Order: sequence, then structure tokens, then C-alpha cells
Amino acid sequence: MNKYIKWLLLMAVLIMGLSTGVYGAEKEDSHREIKGLTYDHSMELSYAEEFSVDYYEGGYALITIDQSGEFLVVPEGRKAPEGLDGDITVLQQPVSNIYLVATSAMDLFRAIDGIDSIRLSGTKENGWYIQEAKDAMESGKMIYAGKYNAPDYELILNEGCGLAIESTMIYHNPEVKEKLEQFGIPVLVERSSYESHPLGRTEWMKLYGVLLGREDQAEKVFEEQSSKLEKVLSAENTGKTVAFFYINSTGAVNVRKSGDYVSEMIRLAGGKYVPEDTGSNDNALSTMNMQMEEFYAKAKDADYIIYNSTIDGELTTIDELLSKSELLADFKAVKNGNVWCTGKNLFQETTGLGTMIEDIHTILTEDDASLEELTYMHRLK
Amino acid sequence: MKPYFFYTDQLTVGYDGKPLIREINIELNRGEILTLIGPNGAGKSTILKSITHQLKAISGTVYLEKELMDKMSSKEMAKKVSVVLTERMHPELMTCEDVVSTGRYPYTGTLGILSEEDREKVKKAMETVHAWELRERDFSAISDGQRQRILLARAICQEPEIIILDEPTSFLDIRHKLELLTILKSMVLQQGLTVIMSLHELDLAQKISDRVICVHGEYIEKYGTPEEIFTPDYIRELYGITRGSYNADFGCVEMEPAKGAPQVFVIGGNGSGIPVYRSLQRQGIPFAAGVLHRNDVDYQVADALAAEVIGEKPFSCISEENYQKALLVMSKCDRVICPLKDFGPMNERNRTLYEMAEKMGKL
Amino acid sequence: MEKRKRAVRYGCSFVILGVLLFILFIWNVNAGSVPLSVGEILNIIFRHQGEDVAINIVWEIRLPRILAVVILGGALSVSGFLLQTFFNNPIAGPFVLGISSGAKLVVALLMIYFLSMSVTMGSGAMILAAFTGSMISMGFVLAVSKKVQNMSMLVISGVMIGYICSAITDFVVTFADDSNIVNLHNWSLGSFSGMSWSNVQVMAMVVGISMIAAFLMSKPISAYQLGEVYAQNMGVNIRLFRVGLILLSSILSACVTAFAGPISFVGIAVPHITKSLLKTAKPILVIPACFLGGAVFCLFCDLIARTVFAPTELSISSVTAVFGAPVVIYIMIKRQKRI
Repeated sequence: MNKYIKWLLLMAVLIMGLSTGVYGAEKEDSHREIKGLTYDHSMELSYAEEFSVDYYEGGYALITIDQSGEFLVVPEGRKAPEGLDGDITVLQQPVSNIYLVATSAMDLFRAIDGIDSIRLSGTKENGWYIQEAKDAMESGKMIYAGKYNAPDYELILNEGCGLAIESTMIYHNPEVKEKLEQFGIPVLVERSSYESHPLGRTEWMKLYGVLLGREDQAEKVFEEQSSKLEKVLSAENTGKTVAFFYINSTGAVNVRKSGDYVSEMIRLAGGKYVPEDTGSNDNALSTMNMQMEEFYAKAKDADYIIYNSTIDGELTTIDELLSKSELLADFKAVKNGNVWCTGKNLFQETTGLGTMIEDIHTILTEDDASLEELTYMHRLK
Repeated sequence: MKPYFFYTDQLTVGYDGKPLIREINIELNRGEILTLIGPNGAGKSTILKSITHQLKAISGTVYLEKELMDKMSSKEMAKKVSVVLTERMHPELMTCEDVVSTGRYPYTGTLGILSEEDREKVKKAMETVHAWELRERDFSAISDGQRQRILLARAICQEPEIIILDEPTSFLDIRHKLELLTILKSMVLQQGLTVIMSLHELDLAQKISDRVICVHGEYIEKYGTPEEIFTPDYIRELYGITRGSYNADFGCVEMEPAKGAPQVFVIGGNGSGIPVYRSLQRQGIPFAAGVLHRNDVDYQVADALAAEVIGEKPFSCISEENYQKALLVMSKCDRVICPLKDFGPMNERNRTLYEMAEKMGKL
Repeated sequence: MEKRKRAVRYGCSFVILGVLLFILFIWNVNAGSVPLSVGEILNIIFRHQGEDVAINIVWEIRLPRILAVVILGGALSVSGFLLQTFFNNPIAGPFVLGISSGAKLVVALLMIYFLSMSVTMGSGAMILAAFTGSMISMGFVLAVSKKVQNMSMLVISGVMIGYICSAITDFVVTFADDSNIVNLHNWSLGSFSGMSWSNVQVMAMVVGISMIAAFLMSKPISAYQLGEVYAQNMGVNIRLFRVGLILLSSILSACVTAFAGPISFVGIAVPHITKSLLKTAKPILVIPACFLGGAVFCLFCDLIARTVFAPTELSISSVTAVFGAPVVIYIMIKRQKRI
């Protein structure tokens, strides 16, 4: 047995040593000094915390994404400064033929009319709920390039891809990222899903605005959404409770963790998310599974139910809901007919988060029983 | 003391540390055949397995040519000891020649490729067991008898000093039994091969062995030459024979005689009576036999199967006394059968018996 | 003379395998999402001339992948052959000793650990983790093998270890912060996608050495084909043999698992196909033939997996199962008829 223990230790040491790409959680500098460039100003961000943009004279911009790395956007016709730090990835404008894997970014591109810059998609045509994306794929302007963990490298190379935008799932397949970078294709791992404020996610459109040189448009669209939110925020807290969940195939209830952006949206809309105190806060992304019993105890008295249909499919009637679990019939919201269901496009339409909050606010405040359709949700009959 | 070629010193064998047979002391010369006999489950296979190192001996030592077998490397052992066992094997897609060729492994190089010389030895071994014509056949597609011969050939071409066989003749018909043992014997005589085997066929064991070990109970019950071991009484005791008997001189078994007073009288002699005795015994008819000289071949069988036998001293004429005895018994029987055709001076009185039977109308 | 006929058969079999390998190799190099003419490809390979993109495609995408398929396909089938011989079980495969579950467990543990510390794992670390996990599983099986007489116990212990590792993995994954790690199940499917030259170098070395070792074990393996008792009598050190066989087959399967994930059916089907082709089970012939056979089979399956529905890649295990299963069934039936 001793022989085996020694062996295990050796393996462990080797692994530690070979862990490439160690990115610790670095403290952010107030702004980054770059040799050869003069710092001008930083982008104003209202809600986003996971990225920052520093502007330099001459139209250069440095995008810093927490834990993902630094990207220097170099304007067309100019070159990156000499002696640039090796950790900084250069993105030469115009950035074209983008390979988009992170689905939540598509809507943000749409909002700034940037879909034309996307040539390769990590999702098939029927996986998109955004009409412009569907149209682009149908017309052949955007083509499917394989799943994130097994992309068609040949296609990507052949199309002259200039940038790959991946979600954090790529960390489970580091060899894909390495291979793309080997071909000189920069990989940007977006972290919008780690934003604790819902509008923080939407604000990422400003980052893409920088990439495509459409900052103004990004600002405008973002303003629309954030003013919607301001209107809602100005209203009083209704004190009503909302449960947001779905029931998976094994019968467990998938709820949002407290502090997750959906629970935040509910809070901003003037409501309170139940069940409370679920899960730790160090990762704002996640959901967690809860047994039906516990969920029943905590959420039975919720005033409203919003059923998350994005995984299993949209529901139209309350009976369909009850077929997922009989216990739901006991819930206050069900008894009062206050059950709503999201559209499948909820998570893809990142731009509309403000509208979503508005929707939730409407649900909480309008007592009109005849109200059945909102932008992103519909009432179950 | 002449040093023995193979001997064991207080060898104790068993499974899982539990001794089955203790303190075995075997002494064998080169070129001798040692047979283990004993009832089922006595431990014959256990002893053999312990000698071949398939099973770990519990205590004691085994010597081969004054060397401790335990100390030998497996390669050395492979060149000195080969085995033919009862394990069923199912090698895939191997021809008979392939199987026999594996016997050369202790002599071939790293990849086991056979040299021309090795091939010759394989051929010779197969010819010795008369199996050369089977060489291309698939090993799993031949009969049990053929398979045993192939395995024997394999053991032979391993060129061992000792061959160890565990019930090698169990699956063979009479012809193949004889063949196998003949081959073994000739190898022993010509090449000085030493053989240790276990047999169930007592007659064969008696005829072929130089030494016999009787495995019975916790210790070796008897160890000696066949003449010392194969007495009818001992065999009866060793195997616990309750029905039938064992004829030591001829090494054959006889079934139980039919019970009751004799109903038939058989006048026999010179081998003529034997078929009649057997037939009557099969039918369950008790019979009497006479007058038989004790050195007559019929006497052996009659002694085992008849209810009553009237015997006569060898090489003497049938005496009046015996004649009268026979007559008495004959008159008590219902029937008389006289297969005897040869009448001479010695058994003249049997002719008289025959005439008497005719007169009595019992024929 | 029968012997001559057999020699001819062996020769022909190897020639056929060699030719098939060559053809499939060429076919694979020429196939892909981006159409390249034969002329272009020849130029790229032999004269290093051509468009940058095309050069990259051929040299950095297609060639490493094809070589990886050859090496790993061969490794899988030899590993399967060794295990089938050892356990005298026709459906034993490279993963019967629970190796892939062990690998998945260690990968999951390390991934969760590193991600919780906000450290990203590189592909090299993942490969090493998978290899280590495989070796740990193998270590357990070896430990069991020392205590056990009957070899079927090893298969049982392998299956049990597989279950235990899966259970622990699921348990750990449930509490992971990163909910996406549930996608680790993708890891169970195996894929040849994304091979690089550095991968190919490492696997060539590991598999190459193991293959040579396996080939050198031909003699004890063929002795073992007669049964353990006879093998021992012929001078084979059974204990060392056991350890060696488990070690070799585990290293081969671990290599495949580490670089490509568990790929099913190749290890089970190809040895049977090879033995039927050669009509012998002699390891000195079967081991090299298995390697070629495995390479051919995987080249064919990978071709289908990556081109038929491009750019979607089919799971390689499904393709190997579709082609492997009927073959195995057919061979089993034929064998039963004979007996």
C-alpha cells in the first residue's frame, strides 16, 4: 500500500505543476498602464462588475474581464504598441467572422445591429429564439460550426474567424480553447452570467459595442432598458412573494439561489423571491435542486408562481403544471390563478432584462384577471 | 543408502492450511513408475498438486535429484517436471500441434518461436503417441481420448525428468488406456523417464507400477511394490468394498455371487465354465461348480461367483472323495450344465459326473 | 501442406490490414468540412506549399487527429485482447476494470477544486488527471488480485470500483459550485476531436512502449491460453504475469481515456474480428494484427463520425457500437454453431 500512496502523491505534485493557465482572482487596478499608450478615461458602468474598459489615446481600448483576461482593441489601420505585455490579447478591428458560442451574447449583438459580424454559431438554427439569428442562419449568412466541446475547426479556420466568444463551459474542455488559440483565433470567455445585477448582464452590450465600434448604439439601447428599470424602482415594494422554479425529470425542484440574478430581478420589480436563503452566495450563477417536500414548506404560500419553461418546454394550462407535481394544487398562487410561465426565449433575450423586470412588476401590481400575455411571460389557464 | 532420485520428506499437504495427508515419505528411483491409488476424495490429486507446486505444501520438503524443489526456479522446474492433468481446457483456435508445441517453451527464446530442432521433437513426441495425423485439427474438435494423447505428447516434448499424471486414463476406452500406458512404460524403459500418477483402474495400477502408494485416511496407509499391496483383502479394506470382490492375481473385479442354495451344477474346467458362470450370475441363479483343479482357470471365477465350489489339488487326479462330494451337490441341483469337452486322465471323474447327470436326467 | 496454407493466410491478412490502413488514411486526410483537392493536399504534405488556412487544416487538424485515431484505436484493441485472454471471457473490454470511472472521478474532483479556487485547468492537466484516475483504479484492482485466486473476481471488483467511482463523482458534482460541471457526462462519451501534435507525441511514446512490452509477452500469453496450471508448469511466473497483464492493458486503456475519453466496443469487437481473420489466437500474430485492425476500425468510424453530419460530430462510441455490435453477434453465433 505504501507504494501506492507514494505514487498518488507524485501524481498530485505533477498535476499541480502542470496546471497551466493559472489566473488568480486579481485585485483590479484603477486603470491599466500600457507602454506606448496614454490613458484617457474609463467606461462608465452602472451595474456591470465583471468587466471594465479603459480608453487610450488614438482609439485604443483595453477590455478587462475578471478572471478571463485582457483584450486590447486596436483600431483599424493602426498597430498594437511595441513590447505589449504577453498576457494581453490583441483584437484588431474590424473584428469579423465571429464564432459565437455563448448564447446569451447573441441578443446583445442584435441590439447593436452586430449580427452581421457573427459568421459561426455554436447553436443550431432551431436552437435560437432570436428571429434575426434564425434568419441569418436560414439565409446562410451564419453557419453552424459544431458544439462548443467539439467544434469544426476546419470550418472555423476556413471562414477566417477573427474571434471566438465562449461561455465558461469552455473551461471543461480546455483543449478546445488551446486549439483555437493555437490557430491564432483569440478566445474571449464572457462572464455575463456571473453578474449579480440583472442589468449588469445587459450592460455587457457595451463591451461588444467596443469590439464592433458601436459604443453609441450600445449606450442608447442600454439607456432604454435602464430607464424602464428606474421607473419600476421608483414604485413601492409590493411585499408580494414570487416563486420562480421548474421541476426536473427526477421530480426535484430546481430553484434559483438567493442573490442570483433572477431573484434580483424579482426584488427590483418590487417583489420578494421565495424560497429564501437557498444556497451560498459565492457564485451568483447557479440554481440548485431541492426536494419537493422542502419546497412545499417554503413556497406554499407564495403569492405568485413564475414557472421556468426554458428547460422542459412551455406550459399553457394549470393542469399541465399539476401533472408535474400534484402537491402544487395546494399552493396559494395556484388556488388564486396567479401562475405565470416564461417563454423559452427568456434567457436568450439578454437585452430585454429591463422589460422582464417590468413584466414581473406588472404581474405584481396589476390585479386584472384578464391580463394574460406579457412580453416574456404568459399566465397559465 | 543409495540416494533416491525423487523423494519427499515428511510432506504434509492440504488446502487452506488444513492438512489432509500428513508426513508423506516417498522414495523413488529414476525410471520407476509410482502410482497413487485410493478411494475418491482421499487426496491423491492434492498430493500431486503439491508436488507440482500448483498447491502450496503445508510442511515438509520434496527433493529431486538431491535438490530442494522449492528452491528451483520455475524455469528449472519446467525443464524437469511436466504434467498431464484433469483440468478441462478450451484453448481458442489452437491446432493440436500448437498445443504440443507449447511443451517446448522452457527451451525456446523470448518470443517462443520454435527452432527446427524443437519442431522435430514435437513431431517425434506426437508420433510416439500416434497422434501426428491430428496435428492440423483444432484442439477443441477432437475426442477425449485423442486429447489425452495430445496432452501426453505435450508433456513428453517438454523433455522432463518426471512426468506427473492425474488420472490420465479416466476418459479413455480400453484401447487407448492400454496405448497410453504402453507408451509411458516404453518411455520409462527407453529413456529412463520417471512417472508419478494416480489411477482408478486397479488392474492397470497393479500391472504397470513399480511402486504403489495407498492414500487412505490422514496418513499414507501403505507404500510398497504391487505384490505387497494388491491382496484381495487389502484392496477390499482400502476401498471399503462391500459388494463383489477383487481378484488380486488377475487384477480384476467380480460382482457379487447370487444368493441361495445352488440350483444349477456346472461341470467345467479349462476355461469352458467361465462364460457359463458369468451368465448364471447375471441371471441371478446360484450355482455350484466342480470338480475344478485349483490351478484351473475356471477355479478363479468359480471361487468368486459360485455358491459352492468343489476343488481339487493341482496336478492330481480327481479323488473319489471329491467326486462323491460333487455328486451329492449335483443331486441337490435342478439342472446340470456341462460345457467341458476335454476329458483326460486328470479329470476322468468329471466324465463320470457327466454320465451320472445324464442318467439323472438333469441335463 | 496445411502449414503453407496457414502461412499464406497470415501473410494475406497482414497485407489486407496494411492496405486498408493505407486507404483509410488517405481517405481521412482528404475528407473534412472544407473541401481540399488531392493535389492541394499532396502539395501541402510533401512540399509544404499552399494556402495558410489549408496548411493549418491539413497539418494541425487532420493529420494529428488521424494519427491519434490510429494509435488509440490500436491501443484499445490490444488492451481488449489482453483482457479477453486473461479472463478467458469473450466480452471483456478495456474498461471492464473500472478504469474510465476512476479517470472521470479524478477529473471531476480536480476540476471542481481548481474552479472553486478560480484557477483554470489546462488540457495537459486534464490529461494527467484522467491518467492518474485510471492508474488509481488499476491500483485497486491489482491489490484485489493479490488476495484472490479466481480471476472472475477481478471483473467483479472492476465493475464495483466503477460503480463506487461513479457514485462518488455524482455526489461531488451535486455540491459543486459550477452547475455546468454536470456537463461532465459529456466526458463519458469519448471523442477524437481536438488532438494536437504534442498529444500525438505523448501517446505515441506511451502506446509504443506498451505495445512492445505486450509483444514481448507473447510467449507467456500463449502458455496462459492453455490454462493457468499448465502455464505455471511451463515456467510462467503466474503472479508476475498477472500484474504485467493488468498493468499493460490498464496503461493502454488509460492512455485512450486520458486523451479521448472512453470509447466503447473497439476493444471488444476488434480482437474477435482479427482472430477470425487470422484463424489463430497466437499472440505473436494477434497482437500486431489487433493493433492494425483497431486502427483501421477506428479510422473508419471516425471518418463517419466527423463527416456524415458535419459540422455536427457524431459521438464516436455510437458509431463504433453500430458497426461493432453486429460483428460481435455474428461471430458469437458462428462460434456457437461450431461447438
